[in-house]
Amino acid sequence: MNDRVERLSLDLRLQHGVLLIAMIVLLLTGLVLKFHDNVVSAWLIRLEGGILFRGLIHRAFAIVLILLAVYHAAWVTFTDTGHSELMAMVPRHKDLSDFFQKLAFNLGLSNNLPAFDRYDYLQKLQYWGVAIGTAVMIVTGMVLWFVNESMAILPKWIIDLTLIVHGWDGVLIFIVLFLFHMYNVHLNPAVFPMSMTWIDGKIQVDRMKNEHRLEYDRLVSDRSDEDH
Amino acid sequence: MRTISYFLLVAAATLVAASASAQAPLYQKCLLCHGRPGFKKVMPDGKVLELFVNRAELENSIHAKLHCTDCHADVMEIPHLKRPGRVNCYRCHYKDNPNGALPANEFFQSVHGKLVARGDPKAPLCQNCHGGHSVQKVDSPLSTVNHQNVASTCGTCHKPQYDNYIQSIHGTALLDRHIRSAPTCTTCHGKHLILRPSNPESNIYPLNVINVCSKCHENKELIRKYNIPGGRISTYKESYHGVADEFGSVRVANCSSCHRAHLILPQSDPRSSINKANLAKTCSKCHPNADVNFTKGKIHVNYKSRSSGIIYYIGLFFEILTLSTLTVLFIHILLDLFRRYRAGEIGKKKEHD
Repeated sequence: MNDRVERLSLDLRLQHGVLLIAMIVLLLTGLVLKFHDNVVSAWLIRLEGGILFRGLIHRAFAIVLILLAVYHAAWVTFTDTGHSELMAMVPRHKDLSDFFQKLAFNLGLSNNLPAFDRYDYLQKLQYWGVAIGTAVMIVTGMVLWFVNESMAILPKWIIDLTLIVHGWDGVLIFIVLFLFHMYNVHLNPAVFPMSMTWIDGKIQVDRMKNEHRLEYDRLVSDRSDEDH
Repeated sequence: MRTISYFLLVAAATLVAASASAQAPLYQKCLLCHGRPGFKKVMPDGKVLELFVNRAELENSIHAKLHCTDCHADVMEIPHLKRPGRVNCYRCHYKDNPNGALPANEFFQSVHGKLVARGDPKAPLCQNCHGGHSVQKVDSPLSTVNHQNVASTCGTCHKPQYDNYIQSIHGTALLDRHIRSAPTCTTCHGKHLILRPSNPESNIYPLNVINVCSKCHENKELIRKYNIPGGRISTYKESYHGVADEFGSVRVANCSSCHRAHLILPQSDPRSSINKANLAKTCSKCHPNADVNFTKGKIHVNYKSRSSGIIYYIGLFFEILTLSTLTVLFIHILLDLFRRYRAGEIGKKKEHD
């Protein structure tokens, strides 16, 4: 059963690709500012063409991220595939029970791996974490980008606060994407060295059966319906 | 007879000369003219050259024992017909001389020395700051360049800067309250090696200003002794201005951009550039839209201090959120690995690919 079936559409893979590039550049040019007091950041800032050019790169890729966010919002709102993807991402009560079930399973207290749908609770957590994180980044980033305009309407303490939120939000996104997501799609023994899904969009039927049982069952029953 | 009278004459002349050198200074002869109060010359362009030399000043100076022509070496005959040139101190204070050598290298690299080298007749030489006829040792209370007096000496040419300085907190501390630790011109600008602010080697080059101010404003002893607000430097360094400054932006605000260079005043003073009433104007030098509304809130924010209020607590919230997210995700990864290890998945999974 090593057949592979499509999991991610080309559209989604392209969105993912753009997000991947934008996030890497934004984090590299952003975190160096928050954690400026070390040799690695100093080296990176030099590599990025100095403190001012670093800012230019950061804002250029901020535009890329904003365009992607706008496209994604339109995609989940107005297209059928996009909308069904969004609905599959909506958190449900089951996600909470899945979490405890998985915990018991991992601890060896239970032998039943919970049956996940198209997205398990961790994937939902990552999606919504990055979605909300990005929304916050865009709003706070705009305040800081147009600081001269912000100054006309906002008191300084709000701008200071914006800077704090923007910096820490960046750290949180870094943790979710580059520590946790990295484990799930690269270092996890089931996929090491890398899950190919983000490139060809396909997943092994075996893995689908294991990790997305409900979706698999639905697929099988749909297939058998078609057969009849 | 003729020879005897000649010898007598020579002997008498020698005697007179010798007694003159022992009792009256050798500059007696020059003072015949220059010792007359009001002795002056009107130049063709109408300028008046004051040529009076105060004998008491000469006799009190460290050069009291020298003859006029030791310094005015181009005066070959008295009375002299030509106007003597500027005195060159290097004649005696050459390198490795026993009286102390001039910091000639430093001086000739400085903005003053370069003007001298270019032949600018108004450029200051040693004597313009150290005093000519009244020259004293630098540590003498009479010296024109001691810590207390140097500001007014610089002020003879740099009048607007001096006027601002004497009103500033630094100037009043030193000149009115006689606090010796308070800075004067040379504390920030240097002594002989004074460079333009645009020169990257200068103490007051935009990127170096912070180091100059830190000398006192990060000195715990001075901060305690004179009740100077602390944490100014560290909070600046954490701000965007400070980070951009650290990485070489000369456009970004440094200490003197907001506090001014010479007219530095405490926030409580209504004339101060950082007084609440003037702050919007100060910020709007770079940020044209900054208005009174913007100035609500602290400027030197210490993100790690409770006194910063909501900024501190939101920062703390994020710190805790970040640490707990890290911990939870890390435990989750470990549990996943632990389960896979027990299930024997680790190490035999390759066949999939």
